[in-house]
Amino acid sequence: MLFWIVAAALTFGACLLLLAPLARGNANAADAQAHEIEVYKDQLLEIERDMARGLISASEAELARAEIGRKIIRLSDAQQTAGSTAPSRPLARWIGAAAILSLPLVSWGLYAATGSPFYPGQPLQARLERDPSQAFVDELIARAEAHLAANPNDARGWDVLAPIYLRLGRYSEAATAFANASRLDEPTAARLAGEGEALTAAANGQVTADALARFEAALALQPDDLPSRYFVALASDQAGNGEEAGRMWQEMREGLPQGSPWHGVIAAAMDGEDAAASGDDQAAMIENMVASLAARLEANPHDVDGWQQLIRSYMVLERPQDAQSALDRGRAAMGPASPEGGHLAAYGLSLGLEVEQ
Amino acid sequence: MIVEIGHFALVLAFALSLVLSVAPLVGARMGDARLMGLAEPAALSILALVALSFAALTVAYVQSDFSVANVWENSHSAKPMLYKITGVWGNHEGSMLLWVLILAAFAALVALFGGNLPATLRANVLAVQGMIAAAFLLFVLASSNPFERINPPPIEGQDLNPILQDIGLAIHPPLLYLGYVGFSICFSFAVAALIEGRIDAAWARWVRPWTLAAWAALTGGIAMGSYWAYYELGWGGYWFWDPVENASFLPWLSGTALLHSAIVMEKRSALKIWTVLLAILTFSLSLLGTFLVRSGVLTSVHAFATDPTRGIFILMILIAFIGGSLALFALRASSLTAGGVFHPISREGGLVLNNLFLTTAAATVLVGTLWPLIVESVSGEKISVGAPFFNMTFGPLILPLLLAVPFGPLLAWKRGDLYAASQRLFVAFGLSLAIALATFFIVDRVSVLAALGIAVAFWLVFGALTDLALKAGIGKVSPSVALRRFIGLPRSVFGTSLAHAGLGLTTLGIVAVSALEVERMAVMHPGDAMEVAGYELRFDGMFPFEGPNFTEEQGRFTYLDRSGRERGEIVSSKRFYPARQMPTTEAGIASRGFSQLYVALGDRAPDGGIVVRAWWKPQVLFIWIGCVVMMLGGAISLLDRRLRVGAPAARRARPARPFVEPAE
Repeated sequence: MLFWIVAAALTFGACLLLLAPLARGNANAADAQAHEIEVYKDQLLEIERDMARGLISASEAELARAEIGRKIIRLSDAQQTAGSTAPSRPLARWIGAAAILSLPLVSWGLYAATGSPFYPGQPLQARLERDPSQAFVDELIARAEAHLAANPNDARGWDVLAPIYLRLGRYSEAATAFANASRLDEPTAARLAGEGEALTAAANGQVTADALARFEAALALQPDDLPSRYFVALASDQAGNGEEAGRMWQEMREGLPQGSPWHGVIAAAMDGEDAAASGDDQAAMIENMVASLAARLEANPHDVDGWQQLIRSYMVLERPQDAQSALDRGRAAMGPASPEGGHLAAYGLSLGLEVEQ
Repeated sequence: MIVEIGHFALVLAFALSLVLSVAPLVGARMGDARLMGLAEPAALSILALVALSFAALTVAYVQSDFSVANVWENSHSAKPMLYKITGVWGNHEGSMLLWVLILAAFAALVALFGGNLPATLRANVLAVQGMIAAAFLLFVLASSNPFERINPPPIEGQDLNPILQDIGLAIHPPLLYLGYVGFSICFSFAVAALIEGRIDAAWARWVRPWTLAAWAALTGGIAMGSYWAYYELGWGGYWFWDPVENASFLPWLSGTALLHSAIVMEKRSALKIWTVLLAILTFSLSLLGTFLVRSGVLTSVHAFATDPTRGIFILMILIAFIGGSLALFALRASSLTAGGVFHPISREGGLVLNNLFLTTAAATVLVGTLWPLIVESVSGEKISVGAPFFNMTFGPLILPLLLAVPFGPLLAWKRGDLYAASQRLFVAFGLSLAIALATFFIVDRVSVLAALGIAVAFWLVFGALTDLALKAGIGKVSPSVALRRFIGLPRSVFGTSLAHAGLGLTTLGIVAVSALEVERMAVMHPGDAMEVAGYELRFDGMFPFEGPNFTEEQGRFTYLDRSGRERGEIVSSKRFYPARQMPTTEAGIASRGFSQLYVALGDRAPDGGIVVRAWWKPQVLFIWIGCVVMMLGGAISLLDRRLRVGAPAARRARPARPFVEPAE
């Protein structure tokens, strides 16, 4: 309701302000010539000041005065011929009325089409203080976060939050939450496996050394922990031991009860393992992309990001000589002394390439 | 509720701007004082409403109201308060709102302080300003509405681009916009003059303060942007000839030309048509800059979101205003009378020369900026015009101008004496040459070019001082008289000298850094040291640090001078902002006098070390100090009493009539 009152007051106020000049009489302001003469008078005074200061000589001042004098005379002639301002015509009054009427029409019409007048503001602090039963999931998370920020040693709080983070895709926060729970209470297989899974997800599905260590620690505590067994197998698959991974998955599958969701997961993993054998096409495709990038940079060498990408690609393909020559060409193209050239050199240095200074 | 009030205020401001763009124009045409009188209250109300709207958005940011889409996209509850506020314009929608706010503020200033303007001119100027406001308010409301809501509201925002989370965001955009938008007033004056079909010396006098103010703000905005890029990007460069930088530099070049041609027009009634054209072109270049940056045709830190409809919308505004004003110019320019005549060697001649060089330089930069876009749209091929192009074209164009600058203020109006001016500059010339020789023999024996560049820089500074000394009569009259005359000099004389000297200081910084900079690069481990221009930089190690909304790895360095004494610590860091998953670099800078030791961290090397780049940047601070001095010159010039022409005593206004009256 308050919104409507304020909106109406604003509209009304704007209309009133515009009414004021319309209500006033059609008083003639001083006309343009008078303004101009004022400027010329000021210029004459300025000449006097300049002469008094010795900035211009007396003869120069005389010439300048004469020039301004001629302009004033020309103006006064024109003034006699030009009439003064015409009286207000009815048409003008209609235009004035239309102008004022247009304010509420345009503003309320446009606002009705675009605004959300019934949607109150949602300041964060106020939302967090409201009754939790009406809250959304993310609001509950925010409450839990606020609680943990105040009581960071509450292991149970971290236990609650960690799997939610994992589900929502906030992987690095999930890993920290699992680790906090382990640190504050004690490492359990579930906490360790959860942390490993979060680390793996954060690395785009790569079971990193850190993650593998967590899974192995979990298996030491509880040798039949299913997630840990699955990820340890995945790790050896990613390390190139496809056969061993297949054997471990097979073993795992045999021990699974009927209807376990792990059946599907393992089947999918084993399918992927078979498909990975045909990696040659992919390598050829990558080679092609790198070659076309190199060709593009040859034609249009002023592209720092492009050079950086090319150097990185060569390093990934384990062709350090090509990377070195790409670095040298890139620096030459940018100019070794330019900021871009320097940036490229620093990048090369970080990859272990040689940079002559 | 406050959010919706802000939205409504913006819509109401749009309605008012429609009235402002029509009623006073018609009033001026019909000679009706009442309709013309609508202009002032309308302009002031627009400012009040847009300010209310801006305040409402700011409140939404401060309160982290994520039911506002714009706040959700660009803020985060853990962000420090300063960045919550500056974040208001650290995004497309909010920055356009700031643009409109400044536009409204300038129109309100004309309404408040335009009492000395003829009524029709004032009405027409405000009407044109109203048209610009209407176009941009419509743009904001239709395609970039900062008040769009989300229901249900998310609980956390997506944070502001980390590169923008810096004090620079508080200064650079507002100053730059003051400059960009300030030129809209000159544009409105030019178009109003064309609509009226008459233009006189007085016009130039009214336009000059606006040009000065806009120019000074733009100078500061560009300088701040350059310093920000210098310390934030960690590349050690201060100017990259990046299209976005050029977009701000173009109106500066033509605005500088406008500033000078307006002097000729004011003093001698010459160059009228040219000045009007420059006023139109300068604002057109500002609009072009806005288009390039906001439409997403360029990818850079400034292109917040790319949405083709926005680009097309701004392009239409661009075509309407540039095309419309140029068409009007073509129709009416011939009716403007030519003014006083002058000899080529004269103050006027010098200012024309300045204009020739500046506009040619602007054209060169424009071509270099637009060429890649044209090529890409025609052939689809991506090319980039880099620094080499600009160094080869812009450099040679600007050098003769720099050499000529000290002569200008010494030449007399109408017919000057070049020989006499040269004689008076003899001392300045001698001193500059001596400094060049000293630089060559003492500082650096390698680069002749550096010595010459430094000579040019000092030539500008000493030339500016010579002008002041001559005008005060130092050497000709007794010291006490000279002092009195010096104090009594018009402010604009000081303004000119400061601006020209500032140009010299900036040149000094650029030359010193380009020619004498030292760069070192190495993979360092804790305990390692490297030598940079006589200083020893010792790497103490990497230390983790937790910021409010980022994590940081700080590389700490100690630098020692030649005698092995510790001179101070430098902290250079790499930050990571989890909300946006983005890393940034924070260069570590230690100032020694006007020079700086600049340290940036690179990536980790495979052996566990870290790539460290260190620069010795001699006299680098003069680049920005010079700009501040130029700005100061503009500000002092603005205080000149000449620019405050009084209003003529108005004829007594008839007593106000009642509002309802019979038709005449």
